[in-house]
Amino acid sequence: MTSVVVTEGLTKRYGRRPALADCTLDIPAGHVVGLVGPNGAGKSTLLQLICGLLRPSAGRLSVLGGEPASGSARLGFVAQDTPVYSGLSVEEHLRFGAHLNPSWDDQLAHERVDRLGLDPKQKAGKLSGGQRAQLALTVAIAKRPDLLLLDEPVAALDPLARREFLQGLMEYVAESGTSVVMSSHLVADLERVCDYLIVLVRSRVRVAGEVEELLATHHRLTGPRIDPEALGPGRAVVHARHTDVQSTLVVRSSAPIEDPAFSVDGIDLEDLVLAYMSEAAESGRDRVLEKQR
Amino acid sequence: MTWLTWRQFRTQALIGIGLAAVVAAVFLATRGSLLAMARDSGYTGCTADCDKLASQFLRQVEGSIYGRLLFNGSVLLYLTPALIGLFWGAPLVARELETGTHRLVWNQTVSRQRWLGVKLGAIGLASVVVAGLMSWAFTAWASPIDRAGGWIQPENFTVRGVVPMGYAAFAFVAGVAIGMVMRRTVAAMAVTLVVVAAAIFLSMTFLRPHLVPQTTLQGTLTAESIGGISLSREDPNRVIRVEADAPVRNAWVLSNTVITTSGDLFRGPYDPAKCGPDATGGRDSCAQWIASQDLKQKVIYLGPEKFWPLQWRELGVFLVLSALLAIFCFWWIRRRVA
Repeated sequence: MTSVVVTEGLTKRYGRRPALADCTLDIPAGHVVGLVGPNGAGKSTLLQLICGLLRPSAGRLSVLGGEPASGSARLGFVAQDTPVYSGLSVEEHLRFGAHLNPSWDDQLAHERVDRLGLDPKQKAGKLSGGQRAQLALTVAIAKRPDLLLLDEPVAALDPLARREFLQGLMEYVAESGTSVVMSSHLVADLERVCDYLIVLVRSRVRVAGEVEELLATHHRLTGPRIDPEALGPGRAVVHARHTDVQSTLVVRSSAPIEDPAFSVDGIDLEDLVLAYMSEAAESGRDRVLEKQR
Repeated sequence: MTWLTWRQFRTQALIGIGLAAVVAAVFLATRGSLLAMARDSGYTGCTADCDKLASQFLRQVEGSIYGRLLFNGSVLLYLTPALIGLFWGAPLVARELETGTHRLVWNQTVSRQRWLGVKLGAIGLASVVVAGLMSWAFTAWASPIDRAGGWIQPENFTVRGVVPMGYAAFAFVAGVAIGMVMRRTVAAMAVTLVVVAAAIFLSMTFLRPHLVPQTTLQGTLTAESIGGISLSREDPNRVIRVEADAPVRNAWVLSNTVITTSGDLFRGPYDPAKCGPDATGGRDSCAQWIASQDLKQKVIYLGPEKFWPLQWRELGVFLVLSALLAIFCFWWIRRRVA
């Protein structure tokens, strides 16, 4: 399977503060990838490195098999807060796209604007947040990119606009098969649309992999209090919570866990992400877990 | 890219070029009557007493509508580069960075360098055209006044000829560069104003006198050419300062000193019997005494005939500065901005 993004030890520092540290990833093509993490985790930095707006401080990065460069015809990017030119009308944004992109699909753009019920004469500055996001998405996809990057596209939207935006995105992905990387600090946004997940906390990648596989290999164990180190080989404790008599563990293990001492449950995506986030927040050491392929 | 540049700049372009056209039209329309006034005053085509007729004409201009036009035109041409830097230069990149739209436009199929290149080229050209149009009309209009009063004096020179185009280009590119580095439109506008004003001021005072060879004139100091005498009654060293009238008309006098035969500045000591409070002969006897001291007047100046060589050289300096700043912009947008 080909990869859309491959990074190796990718690092971006602002001054001495790392925004992204030692990030090694291999994002396969044909997925809708969710990039999840709390605010300030480095999600925007990673996306801007991928689309060539930022240059890495260290490490290697290959996007669609080449050096990342802004101005590439093969990459679509919807930046955080979905910027559009407030003085330009909806129609002018489509002309903007047509003038600046040789690969522009004017029919697709106009169809989308019609379907969304946007008034072509309206200034983009007067659109609602949801409409603005839809316009930004339209400009990005009418370029017909091979890889579409979305930086917190729904963060500022109300629940209805959120659903509509994600629906529009899914329709397009289903029809075109474009690879998508979309960031959010809310798992709920990603759960519905993503089939691949990357958890980024405090500038480091904590876990990355296909959603199904992540769900199959993570377990919640509840049982008598136990030292997490004593769990045995092949089982990595992601997160542990103890009371005086009881331990609740989130464990990663490719083999099923059959331990009579514990009750073993599956785990949903939100809890899985939360387990990685709180583990990173609590422990001083930076555990980096990679998807084992 | 051309479409986008025009779409984003068209309002400012129309305002700028419209204003420049109006200003140019006003000066071209009143040029004929100003020329007629110069002819009627007897200054144009004079054969004798030209100096007197020239100052008469200048006084006449001062009291008329042309005096106000001259003042307003100068002010406008002083402001033009600053306004271009403020409103066309500083926001060009800074506003995109502020509103985040750079992330939109730099992710279309156009490189940042091309984006910047088209914008710098098109709007830079517009800046030069606006400044050039106004300066051309104003210089043509003011030609009778300049012939009488001189056009190489720094305050006139700065708002005549081709240098305003250089200032405009420089102000625009400086505004762009400052906006790009500061990333804040309003702050960048303030800094641009200071930088442009400082650049023009420094060029006027420090650079311009050295761009063309200066002319030095030395002549015997006569009693008639003495302009001012100053001395202090209590001074035991009897220091005296003498100023002489400049012997060259319509020139930019860089220095005008009275020197002794050894080349030093003449400081006295004065003869208390001829000069000072105890002398009886008054100013005339003092002037006679000074003239008898074998002194020389030394004047360093730039004559009005140096106007065009100096204009082209100063324009060249500012165009080179603009080009360097533009190179910096290209480097910065590649390396530092995101």
